[in-house]
Amino acid sequence: MNSIEVDGLSRTFNDLQAVDRISFTVEAGEVFGFLGHNGAGKTTTIRMLSGQLRPTAGRARVAGCDVTTEQGRLRPLVGVVSENQNLYERMSGRENLAFAARLYGTNPGRVDEVLQQVDMLERAGDNVRHYSNGMKQRLLIARALLHRPQIIFLDEPTRGLDPVVAREIRRLVIQLASQGVTVFLTTHYMEEADELCRRVAFLSEGRIVALDTPDNLKMAHGQKSLKATLNTGQTLTIALDDEAAGKHLEELVSGGHLRTLHSTEATLEEVFIQIAGRGLSE
Amino acid sequence: MSGQVIAAIARKDLTDAIRNRYLLVALLTPLSVALLLRLMLPDVNRLNNFTIVVHDPDRSTLVSQLRAVPQLKLVDVDSAATARDEVEKIKAAGALVIPAGFDADVAAGKQPKLTVYVNNKKNSIEQASFRGLVERQVKSLDQRPPPAEITWINVREEADSQTGRGINLSQMLLPLLLLLTFGMTGALVVPLLLVEEKEKRTMDFLLTSPARLSEVIVGKALTGIVYSVLIAGVLLALNRQLIGNWPLTMLTILLGLLLIVAMGLLMGSIFQTTMQVNTWASLVLLVLIAPSFPFPGSPAVLEAAMRFIPTYYFIEALKLSLTGTNVPRLWGQLTVVLACTLVAFFAVIWTMRRAQN
Repeated sequence: MNSIEVDGLSRTFNDLQAVDRISFTVEAGEVFGFLGHNGAGKTTTIRMLSGQLRPTAGRARVAGCDVTTEQGRLRPLVGVVSENQNLYERMSGRENLAFAARLYGTNPGRVDEVLQQVDMLERAGDNVRHYSNGMKQRLLIARALLHRPQIIFLDEPTRGLDPVVAREIRRLVIQLASQGVTVFLTTHYMEEADELCRRVAFLSEGRIVALDTPDNLKMAHGQKSLKATLNTGQTLTIALDDEAAGKHLEELVSGGHLRTLHSTEATLEEVFIQIAGRGLSE
Repeated sequence: MSGQVIAAIARKDLTDAIRNRYLLVALLTPLSVALLLRLMLPDVNRLNNFTIVVHDPDRSTLVSQLRAVPQLKLVDVDSAATARDEVEKIKAAGALVIPAGFDADVAAGKQPKLTVYVNNKKNSIEQASFRGLVERQVKSLDQRPPPAEITWINVREEADSQTGRGINLSQMLLPLLLLLTFGMTGALVVPLLLVEEKEKRTMDFLLTSPARLSEVIVGKALTGIVYSVLIAGVLLALNRQLIGNWPLTMLTILLGLLLIVAMGLLMGSIFQTTMQVNTWASLVLLVLIAPSFPFPGSPAVLEAAMRFIPTYYFIEALKLSLTGTNVPRLWGQLTVVLACTLVAFFAVIWTMRRAQN
């Protein structure tokens, strides 16, 4: 069963084609990565799929709702963590969530549950302006989970966070997926997408240029070879589709000549560069 | 529209606004000014409790209107010559000498001469208040200003004659303070409530929640209305004796604050940053409250310019409702206020929807 179905979705801003006829589906409970450089159209896509922005063309159904005509029904079914840390800074963490609970008509008791889930219960009474970036990010996730959405959109959830907090956020994403929540994730970090996502879509200049599992993408675009470093310091590349590769390897190992051995599988970053013609940070 | 969503937004803003020092100052300034004036002008609540001597051989509309004001006590005299002496004798605020055929001359636009004796033994506040009362009543007789030429004569100084001059304290203070209150809320607080949501991107959160754009706007308006009503309530309580017709005054104030809140929302929908609001708010505030300033002897062009400011009609309506006179004209002013409010609200929705897409 699909949580998200997108067919020929487009959005223009004056003369700018921000999103250009994209089509894809996301299964229920899947963590789906939406990768692309700045301005590729990731946030515009999220804004359209979460009912904030009307598409110029195409159709999309999210949690069974048409994003153009059923926004009212759609909104309680999705949670959005924006790339901007859009919290009310003069209010405490708990007050932010209590306000969201009133908007969604959620039981106020749920506030402490989600605070506990993101490990923010102790600091919930502090003003948000005193929170670190990581704490704000966890609070944003708590707010997005408050009304138990079927689908959660995470727009660059680990950007600018230190590695420890980023790992904590990734743990939360895995936890959500295990609970059956569909996660639509945009990120700059390819290792993150590789670790979390069952499938990823590469977006470049508003178009999807590749969509598959990370392994398939790497297999399709990487080299099938091994890189060996010998005790002498010399490095060798051993092509795996060469019939003599096995014998050559056996000689190196049995002769005690081998210091290290690595696969030369392409990273998602390299695959993206190959396909999109430039890196994510460019 | 969801009442739950609107109430949630208004509740959030009501508590959040007072944590913002800038907004808190904007809310408390009119109150502080009112309290300061109250301390400086302790007699302000008794300004309309006048005794007025009248010589009115033809039983004019003007005197009938004055008789309808509960705070006034009118004493009739038989001749114009005795009016002045009677003022000193009974320590009245002043006297009105209405010429024969006054109503007909006003109706014909002939601007008949009205002689007003002012008891200049009274303190300056009472004198000014009396002058203001007479000016308001005369002005309410006809749409075309001025309906009559007023000659002011101090009872102790025959030669001191002024036509249409003298500060008008009651006309100035309460409407000015109310407009200042609404202006501060409308030009500063309400736009900032909206602009902050856009600037901090919390509007994105609101618009992914069950809140619709119209509910966000109504929630912000409700916040502005609640603050305005609270402060206006204090101002009215402090000046309750100035109010001639409570129901009409309340209606006028409600429509006036809706107008200014709508204008604040319009500002908030146009501006994108708090800096823009801070830059323009003072100018907007000045324009909004300009019609409440007395411009004695002002040129016709200034008077005409004021009519382009929507708050002019609110102030005119407020002056009429405070005296409780010329109700048909009051309804006319309120209709203009309501029309401007509706136009502003529709402009807000249109601007926000356009920006959203």
